[in-house]
This record gives sequence, C-alpha cells and structure tokens, in this order.
Amino acid sequence: MCVPDRALVRVQDLTPEKADQLIWLRARIHTSRAKGKQCFLVLRQQQFNVQALVAVGDCASKQMVKFAANITKESIVDVEALVRKVEQKIESCSQQDVELHIERIFVISQAEPRLPLQLDDAVRPDGEGEEEGRATVNQDTKLDNRVIDLRTTTSQAIFRLQSGVCQLFRDTLTKKGFVEIQTPKIISAASEGGANVFTVSYFKTSAYLAQSPQLYKQMCICADFDKVFCVGPGKKSSHHVLPPCAAFTLVRSLRCFQTEIQTVNKQFPSEPFKFLEPTLRLEYTEAVAMLREAGVEMGDEDDLSTPNEKLLGRLVKEKYDTDFYVLDKYPLAVRPFYTMPDPNNPKYSNSYDMFMRGEEILSGAQRIHNAQLLTERAIHHQIDLEKIKAYIDSFRYGAPPHGGGGIGLERVCMLYLGLHNVRQTSMFPRDPKRLTP
Amino acid sequence: MSMYQVKPICGGDIKIDLPTCMYKLANIHAQQGTGCNPEHALQNGEVDPAVKALEARQNEIMRKLYELKAAVEGLAKTVTTPDADLDLTVSSSLSSQSSSSTTFKGTTDLDTQLGKDHGALRDIVVNANPAHPPLTLLVLHSLLSQRYRVLSTVHVHSSVAGVPPQLLSCLGPRHADSYARQMFQLGFTLIWKDVPKVEMKFSIQNMCPIKGEANVARFLFKLLAPYPSDPALATLVDSWVDTAFFQLLDGSAKERAAVLRALNSALGRNPWLAGPDVSLADITCYCCVLQSGSVSSAPANVQRWLKSCENLGYFGPAKLLLQ
Repeated sequence: MCVPDRALVRVQDLTPEKADQLIWLRARIHTSRAKGKQCFLVLRQQQFNVQALVAVGDCASKQMVKFAANITKESIVDVEALVRKVEQKIESCSQQDVELHIERIFVISQAEPRLPLQLDDAVRPDGEGEEEGRATVNQDTKLDNRVIDLRTTTSQAIFRLQSGVCQLFRDTLTKKGFVEIQTPKIISAASEGGANVFTVSYFKTSAYLAQSPQLYKQMCICADFDKVFCVGPGKKSSHHVLPPCAAFTLVRSLRCFQTEIQTVNKQFPSEPFKFLEPTLRLEYTEAVAMLREAGVEMGDEDDLSTPNEKLLGRLVKEKYDTDFYVLDKYPLAVRPFYTMPDPNNPKYSNSYDMFMRGEEILSGAQRIHNAQLLTERAIHHQIDLEKIKAYIDSFRYGAPPHGGGGIGLERVCMLYLGLHNVRQTSMFPRDPKRLTP
Repeated sequence: MSMYQVKPICGGDIKIDLPTCMYKLANIHAQQGTGCNPEHALQNGEVDPAVKALEARQNEIMRKLYELKAAVEGLAKTVTTPDADLDLTVSSSLSSQSSSSTTFKGTTDLDTQLGKDHGALRDIVVNANPAHPPLTLLVLHSLLSQRYRVLSTVHVHSSVAGVPPQLLSCLGPRHADSYARQMFQLGFTLIWKDVPKVEMKFSIQNMCPIKGEANVARFLFKLLAPYPSDPALATLVDSWVDTAFFQLLDGSAKERAAVLRALNSALGRNPWLAGPDVSLADITCYCCVLQSGSVSSAPANVQRWLKSCENLGYFGPAKLLLQ
C-alpha cells in the first residue's frame, strides 16, 4: 500500500484547533517581504491565504531568511511549520486567527521573476484603481495570460459557481426523468444556416461543426426517449414540454452559492438577483404594449431588437421587480421554420424566450412533429428541402408532440452575477479575434 | 489706383443660338419701358388687390381654426371630468351587467379608468407583505372577478423566504384558460414581497405606484363603481376608509375602542356607514374590524351591521384567510 510520506494540510483548515502542531503545507507564495532578521510571507491556496514567518533562530539561519525573501511570487513551495495562534486578527488574510512559523521551506516549482500581470491588480475593482491611482489589468491582458488570471479569487468563484450551475442543471433534469445523451458534433448540412458555420475537412469531403444538437434531440424523442438533454459546447439544451420550471429551480438553487457570489461582487459590484415564484410569464402582446407605452414604435409581429429587449427588461423589473421572466407566444414570422404555430391564432407561435436582467438566456418552442406541416413551413421559408431531408424523414414514422430549448451556461452565470462581458465567465473564450490560449 | 488692364479675351458681340424648345420668359434684368405702371406701383409700397384677397382668405381660415380649437378643448374638458361618467350612468339607468348580487349603483367602464387595452392584458400588480395580508383587497378582487374576466396569479418574491399555503391560494383556484392571457379583461397579480406598505403598480409610464392599502382599495373600488356624486357623502366614505386603516387596524387599543364607539353611533342612524347603500366604507371597516380581532368586543349596532355585511356574501375570501 502506498502511503504519502508527507500529509499536506489545506490552508483553509488552518484554524486555532491546530495550534502548536507541526504541519506540512503546499501553497503558492502570494507575497514575501523581508524585514531585518525576519521574512513575512503570505501563502495562498485558491481563495484562502495565511501569513507565514521565517525568523532567524534555532531552525532558520540568516541565509535561509534571505532565501525565503527572494523566492519569486507565484512559486509553489512546500513548507513545514508550527501553527501559532495570534492575539490580533490578521485582517488581510482569510485565515485570521493563526500564523505559521516556518521551520523548513522548499521550492517545488519556481515561477519566473517577471509576471505578465500581478494578481492583486487583476482583482482590483476598476473604480478603486482609478481613485487610488493603482493599476488594474485590462481584459485582453487577462485573457492572454488566462492561466494566471484564473488564479484570482474572483475567477475561482466565478468558475466554481459555473460548475455548480452545470451540476444543478444535470441534477434537476435527471430527477425529473430526463436522459442525458451525446449528439454528433460534426454534421453534413448547416442545421440552422447563417454565416456562423465552421467548416471542417472530413475525409474526402467537408462537413460542418454542429451549432446546436437540437435536430438529434428531436430524433431521440421520435426514438421514444421521452425526455432528453445534453450538455456541451455551443449550446446546452433540454427537450421537454415545460422547461421554465427547470430553469427556475436552477435560479433558486443558486442561492446556496452565497460565498462565491459575494467574492465576485467585491470586484464587480452588482444588484442582487431577484425573481418571482412561480416564474413570471408574460405574453408577446403585453411586451409590445409596454414598449409602445414607453415610446417605442414597432409592429405587432416585429422581433425584439437587443436594445428593446433590454428596455423591456427594465420595464418588467420596474413593474414586477423580477430579473427573470419568460416571454411566451412570439410572432410566427420571426421564428424558425420548425416552430409550431399557435392553434388559437395563426399570427403567433408556441415559442418563448427567457430573460435574465433583460438579456435572453434561452430560446425555445414547441416543434412541429408532423412531416407534412414541417414541409409546408420549410417551403414557406424558402429552405432547400434536400438539405433537411433526413430531418423531415425522422417525423414520418410516428412522432410525439414535443418542445424545448437551449440555455447558455456562460450567459446564465454572467447575468446572475451581474457581470457585463461573457468572456469573464468563459474559461478560454473564443471570438473572431481570439483563438488562444 | 488704376487696375491692370487686360485685353478682352473674346469680343462683346458673339452670336448665340438660343434654343427654341424652352419656354421663353421676359428678361427680368432688362430696363423697363415706361408702359409698366402696376409694377411701379408695387415698388412704391402699394399692395396688389389679388394679394389682398389672398390675405383676407387666410385670416378667415385662421379664425375658423381657432374657433374649432376652442370648441374641441371645451369638449375635452367635459369628457375627462368625473361628472361626465355620472351623467351617463344616471341618464342611461343601466343596471349591473353581471348576474352577481352586487348592489353597487352605477357602472364604470374599464377603458375609461385604465386606458385602452391595445390588444394585451391590462395587469394590475399588487405587492403585499405576507405578515399583513390585505383583506380588503382580497374582497375587492373577488368582487372584480364577478364583474369582469379577471386573470389572477399569486407569486412569491425572492425577498421572502416562504409563505403559508393559504396565502398562495387566496385568490382562488387557477383559471382553466390562464395560458391565454389576452382573453381576459383584467389581470390581478399578487406578489408576496418584503415591503413596508402595500403597493400597487399598473402603468409604469403614466402612473406612479400607489402606496397604502387604503389608497389601493380606493383605486380598485373605482373599477367597480364610482364614488357617490354627493361630495359630502364621498368625503364620509373616504373618512371611514382612513379611519379603518389608521385607527382601527394600526391604532392603539384606546383608538380602536374609540372607533368602535364611533361606528356604533353612526350605525344607530343608518343601516350602512355612508348613506343608504353599501359602500367602500363598509367593506374596509368590516375587514379591519375582523383583522384587528375586535369582533367579539363590538357594541350592539356594530354586531348587527357585521351580520348584515356577512349576509352580502362578499367576505368569503377574507374570512377564509383569517382562519
């Protein structure tokens, strides 16, 4: 049996209970400062840090103190130290009641002396930077050096929250009887058309990267899987007749991430997220009426532009005091060809969007499950039937009525936390100008 | 100082072939002969009679326009004052539109009170604190539901941790057609929220929020029936509404006792608090008496009046909530 010869203690577990124990710890050097015969270090592990001290004495020589003071920032060190209680709380560290008196220190991995950015600068709120004349780091630099930027407390909090969201999403749907599926990411025909299609070379021909797994989820429904979902890059989706409750459970459960939310708010202050239970559901006609009352000129069947969506979000917030709502019964004319029309009114459709803080997070609808009607609608939208033959064929052998939508994970995190740029919630974002790291 | 002389580049006597396809105009720069008196007259400041006639016509038209404008303004004033509504109801002698047992005199038109619906649901949003459920508003809601097609929904705001089940079902069972919001004349959305006072929002562009249960009650009541046309009676109703909320519900024990005595003496003279008919005064006072727990300690006239109120059958929702 293999037993590690060195039991490493986590920084977050350094509490007064461990006073006077000799422990081993592996962490990064956050700061080091020499003062005469002593060297003060702050050792950091994710969002936790602790003060440590190397002093000339029985265990440490003057050279050792000098060595400790010269270890570059961000280097990973192993430290054997005594845990000591302190009388006065150390305000600047997460572990405020103890400090470490180092007996042995080893550098495990040294960081280069010149760092492309300083973590303290990367975490500083923009306003504070301007006021006190201290540096902040702009987004491009952060993204170029993502490996270092992700070490900040804010980034750690954001992505732990995001992981939690994804987990909650899976748990909620699985509890409701959904089956998780894997869909192909390389397809033969551009599924929803449009300019943002990526071509890949495929054996002797070329193919496309799937923008959305929707068509395959629908095929699974026709294959009697009843309720399916899949989580993946591009879009995350679920197919069921009542998605609003899943999205809502998600929003409500996010309240358990209070620490993470507060950490992010330190650098990026925002209003706390408010919502109603059960979820507020408004109809498109009401949205148009509210916008017209506010002075916007639009037709009954016009789509909502992004500024209008944001204005509508503010109007809904003002009237109902909620940051999350569902807008149902969009006009048929502005939805894709596979959207099921509203049986009561041919101008409208059984489709909906969900909004958080005035921005869309999910677009969903009941899909047409009748091959004949689907063909008619495709012709009406002037779509080449040959390209979608396989799709229409899947409805020819008995298809149940179904619907669903796709939620953007990064958008949900961004909007819940009140951030303003989706790159902040995307670990290694890709955009027209960025392909690395 | 003489200028530099340049020899002429071209002679002054060039022959130009004028085109014959264009319309010819008299040369306006050419020197006039002596046979053009009218033009001279113009240059002297006199006015051409044709122009005079034109001016006169213009003045006439402007005058007619001003008269029209004044007439329209006069009409607008008469239409928007409350008296106009009452004139209509009194002269048309309409009875209640629904088959309910409501005895409120006169009818009101939702379009006049709330503005046209523009094809979308007109949704009234009421924010109330679950610690102080607004009984009067629940009673008014059930009266509204009898008169109009009302879509009622109850929500709990994220500022409130949890709410007992009877507060979730206080507006009655969910309507079967609640997915088709446009089919309803009025929306009533009740949100249980951590607010200090009951608050109502309707049109964010044209109306500021209405605060206080008394004021919201007045607004909702106006959707059912207008206030009495007699100003003294209307003031009496208002006074009882305020007394109910500020002194009966929110007042000290002494104030409550005083109100009960006042109620007793008022009810000794009349069957209802404001005139011969039931009014908002009775609704609010009944609910506040109930909510302040003063039923058992009420004097004789008040007890009799409480029974009469119950016989009206409006107060089911309120009593259900208090159980």
